[in-house]
Amino acid sequence: MIPFLTNWFADVPGTAVPYALGALGLIICERSGVLNLTAEGLMLVGALAGVASYLEFGGHSGLSLVIAMISASAVSLLFAGLVVVLRVNQVIAGLSMVFFCQGLTGLLGIITGWQNKRITGLLPMTVWPLSEIPVVGKIFFMQDAVVYLTVVIYIVVNWWLFSTMMGLRIRAVGENPAAADAAGISVSLYRVLAIVIGSSLLGLAGAYISVVSVKLWVSGMTSGRGWIAVALVVFARWAPWPALGGALLFGCIEALIPHIAAAGIRVPQYLVMMTPYLATIAVMIWVGATQSVGTSEPGALGQPHVREERR
Amino acid sequence: MHDVAILKSGASSPKPHRARSRFVLDMRQSLPTWKQALFLGGSLAIGLAISVAILAIAGISPIQLAFELAGVFNATSLRGVLFQAAPMMLVGLAASLAFRLGFWNLGLEGQMLLGGIFAEGVSIYEIGPPQTRLVVMGIAAAIGGSLWCLLGGLLKMRFRVNEIIATLLLNYVAKYFLFHLLYGAWQDPKTAYPQSAPLRPFERLFDLGFGVNGGLLTAIAAVALAGWMVHLSRVGFYMRIISANPSMAKVLGVPIRAITIWIVLISGACAGLAGFVNVASQEGRLTDSYADGYLFSGALIAFLSRNDPLVVAIVGFLVAVLFITGQTLQVFYQIPFTMVQLIEAIIVMSVASSEFFIRHRIRWLRQESA
Amino acid sequence: MIPALALKGIRKSFDGVVVLDDAEFSGYAGEVHALLGENGAGKSSLMNVAAGLYAPEAGSIAVNGETVSLSGPSEAQALGIGMVHQHFKLVMRFTVAENILMANPQSHYRSGINQIRAAIEKQSAELGFAIDPDHTVRTLTLAQQQQVEIVKVLIGGAKILILDEPTAVLTDAEAESLLTMTRRLAQSGTAVVLITHKLHEVKRYADAVTIMRRGKTVATLDPSTATAAELTQLTVGETETLPAQTQNTDTRLRLNVGALTCTRADGSTALNKATFFVRAGEIYGIAGVSGNGQAELAEALMGAREPTQGEIWVEDLGDIAHAPMTGARTAAVAVIPADRYTYALAGSLSIADNFAVADIGSGRYGSLGLVDRNTMQRDTAKAIADYDVQGVRSTRQRAALLSGGNAQKLVIAREFSRSPSVVVAHSPSRGLDARACSAVHQRLLSARERGAAVVLISEDLDEVLTLSDRIGVMTRGQIVGEFSRPADRQAIGRAMVDHA
Repeated sequence: MIPFLTNWFADVPGTAVPYALGALGLIICERSGVLNLTAEGLMLVGALAGVASYLEFGGHSGLSLVIAMISASAVSLLFAGLVVVLRVNQVIAGLSMVFFCQGLTGLLGIITGWQNKRITGLLPMTVWPLSEIPVVGKIFFMQDAVVYLTVVIYIVVNWWLFSTMMGLRIRAVGENPAAADAAGISVSLYRVLAIVIGSSLLGLAGAYISVVSVKLWVSGMTSGRGWIAVALVVFARWAPWPALGGALLFGCIEALIPHIAAAGIRVPQYLVMMTPYLATIAVMIWVGATQSVGTSEPGALGQPHVREERR
Repeated sequence: MHDVAILKSGASSPKPHRARSRFVLDMRQSLPTWKQALFLGGSLAIGLAISVAILAIAGISPIQLAFELAGVFNATSLRGVLFQAAPMMLVGLAASLAFRLGFWNLGLEGQMLLGGIFAEGVSIYEIGPPQTRLVVMGIAAAIGGSLWCLLGGLLKMRFRVNEIIATLLLNYVAKYFLFHLLYGAWQDPKTAYPQSAPLRPFERLFDLGFGVNGGLLTAIAAVALAGWMVHLSRVGFYMRIISANPSMAKVLGVPIRAITIWIVLISGACAGLAGFVNVASQEGRLTDSYADGYLFSGALIAFLSRNDPLVVAIVGFLVAVLFITGQTLQVFYQIPFTMVQLIEAIIVMSVASSEFFIRHRIRWLRQESA
Repeated sequence: MIPALALKGIRKSFDGVVVLDDAEFSGYAGEVHALLGENGAGKSSLMNVAAGLYAPEAGSIAVNGETVSLSGPSEAQALGIGMVHQHFKLVMRFTVAENILMANPQSHYRSGINQIRAAIEKQSAELGFAIDPDHTVRTLTLAQQQQVEIVKVLIGGAKILILDEPTAVLTDAEAESLLTMTRRLAQSGTAVVLITHKLHEVKRYADAVTIMRRGKTVATLDPSTATAAELTQLTVGETETLPAQTQNTDTRLRLNVGALTCTRADGSTALNKATFFVRAGEIYGIAGVSGNGQAELAEALMGAREPTQGEIWVEDLGDIAHAPMTGARTAAVAVIPADRYTYALAGSLSIADNFAVADIGSGRYGSLGLVDRNTMQRDTAKAIADYDVQGVRSTRQRAALLSGGNAQKLVIAREFSRSPSVVVAHSPSRGLDARACSAVHQRLLSARERGAAVVLISEDLDEVLTLSDRIGVMTRGQIVGEFSRPADRQAIGRAMVDHA
């Protein structure tokens, strides 16, 4: 039993990272009032960019993760242009971005030959001597660098959003853009900023899947994780730490699947693979049943802002 | 009063005056229809131009592209287009009916899968005599799609789950359910692929020649019925009120719940029929990929048709042309099919951008020196 | 003397509709200058130009004699112009300190918040306010939120303070204290601009008054020498008087609201066992400052909000508090909501569609399968003629193109088309000019003549006093006192305050 649990929990952080980073990136963006459905697409961009830069620039994992973040931010400028400048309906823009990114990454992966090329990627590190502790050592002190980095990112982003002037402005823009505008804050600027910064985390999330977890690129490899991240944001009520909790929960569920088969328990393989999605739906039901609608989302979520709109 | 600490650094001495001109954004009250059509057409043209440019970069010159497009209208390709138009129109219809009401039904692919599964189920369990088997399959497919869509609808109405997420996640659930069947109980024993045994001849949609086939006729019938419902019936009237102002609809006694459930069922049914058409006409058996790419195609068609069923027929046909051209490019020029997805996304983005110009007026405001 | 703020020749239009036409204004330091005009005259728009929110198409702005051009609100603030809007520009979820920090940015959050706290305490003490910097704005009353706005603007260094209809959300007593404070501010050198449509405020508190009508500046006067009649004439153009009201003799009960309780989404109580009744042929006015449950009461009566407890009894229908919306109910209970485009009209739909939605369920306009458009157009055209809805080129045009007054007439035309026995009117003349206002009042009176029970919920005490047979004062979700015609304004004011 103990080895089963140890092995399972040791896999959880790595499985949880894409959800954690994805949800956090979305939270940053949505706190500024921009409803963001692009996660699935931008994660794919990060995933492809991560593998591509690994293959092209000499196999340096750290560099490829950085390039993945920059690529995702660059592509997110298209989304920013659509929703902030052109005030396109944010649902339509988000969906279009997902299909744009799916099409683009699928296309590029094949044309350039980056698809299906195995890489060594990033390997886990060992925090010696703590890693020698039985059970706990394997779970907490033998993860790859990005797992530890994720916790650091959470701390930094939490401080940035709630204890700095910039964070105050971003939140103001998301709660009441008219008030922020009257206070002299550029609604457009801060929304674009939130989109670009949030998207870098989405890129990192995607790159983690391709460079660290699976260690190759295949078209569509995020398999809906972006949508689960979108659901996680609602579950976490747009607050960072609950999002991390939710990510760990989903990490547990997803990490369990291969271990059940490995333990020799006979389960219908494909029905089991439905579990993350069914779990997400279950979580959303719980959220809907316990929360009163609209009291925790940013006040102006999803509404474009025009200053001289006359009532 | 004025010895309060004034915290603003940077004193309030007035700046020297400069005439400053800038852009100003105005909301329009209204715009004549012809101008709207102009913006729409223009943006569509820009989207297509960008797509052509991307294809050129990928190695297909515009001349080759024009040649291929023209080639689509020869007899064999046209037949393929007409076959492809049927599921396109049906998913376009499914999407547009739901979107019209503000119900973001993004579970089109899952509903298509369930439609095909239910139809295949009728075949496997031999429900109904051979003469009517096909009709029973069609009805079953519609029911399958309806139920899957209803699931998403109930999650929204009863549990306030956002339907975008709910219907999208259900796509994945449907896909895995299909795999479960195709690698399991329903797998054709003669192959190792995830597909069922072939359908019996009387379970296939008929082909009258020249590409006119059962699927296309089903789609056209659906379009006609939907067009009537939306434009002529009281249901369509109620739908307009609900989508324009749901609070007002509630207060004025419009049967919102009933209409929403009805549309959810119909939308799912159309998608289910699309799945049935794909399984029973060209594929001839239950496979794992007959719904691929239809979610965004459906959304694209709905969006470009402004959710009008009659326009859906035309746009559906055009998207079918796009699909077949994409297949041709794939076969002859090794351009991956994901290119089609990319082009669809670009077109939606350009058309969505035109809304900005339709809804707002940009003026260049010249500010004079005093 | 050089004006602190001078606007000359200002022109502004929105998509072809001219809202400011060669408007001008000059306010001096040390005075309270009222900007008087009725709804739609352009007062708020003119000051929005001064505050940097609207860019004028023509004209000039001068601060202390120097011409300036404003590209946005922060420039206006830097020049010492601060505006307190009718709809407060506050982030509900932030604390008072965070809101003020947002508008007066410091270089660091932590130190900035502390500095702002100190400034808030100092400034509010000087003004006589009691503001806790760490309270969330959402928990404050409207009067307190307004105080926050004023403190915010003064901390930002405003020497020119513009107040847009500040007393709309205040009780008589709160209004008095606010306006007295503005006089003190003026005495210490600030230029105060008071946008209002209330004559008595102008007469009592203003040193000068500029009158606007239809986007133009009509006159600038000294209110101490001008008569009320003069001011009214300049503001409104012509005055209309209402016909004398006949005494109501019918005693049938049409509407009985019993112990109605409603809670808001955030858990707070909006209606707390509210109870009142209305007889046939009577207008029951509900007076009170907004935010005391009026909106929720209107929504409950409309059917847009379900009460947690209590009953709404309507003659011939029974208790409709939890009942589904039926055709009988929509016919019997007519609703004229405060927010036209939220509950009453769909701007993007045609006028005919908006009119027909009331009766389409009855089969008058065709069967389920086929809608009878011809009858719809005919009925709509007749209603438009009967109710004098202007600006309709075709019944197929979008409802959003109608002006405020005509849109309201359309709503009334539709709601009255099936001879309702109960009429619920919530702020029916909000945003309407005098003529439209008077037309609405006439309609309410004629409904009363026909024997309907009319519930008039309004923040405009003058409107309530003019029209009502009986008045209920609403505070904290309850009716705390009832008065019959002729009602004592002072007593009503006291009832509003005593329970606050």
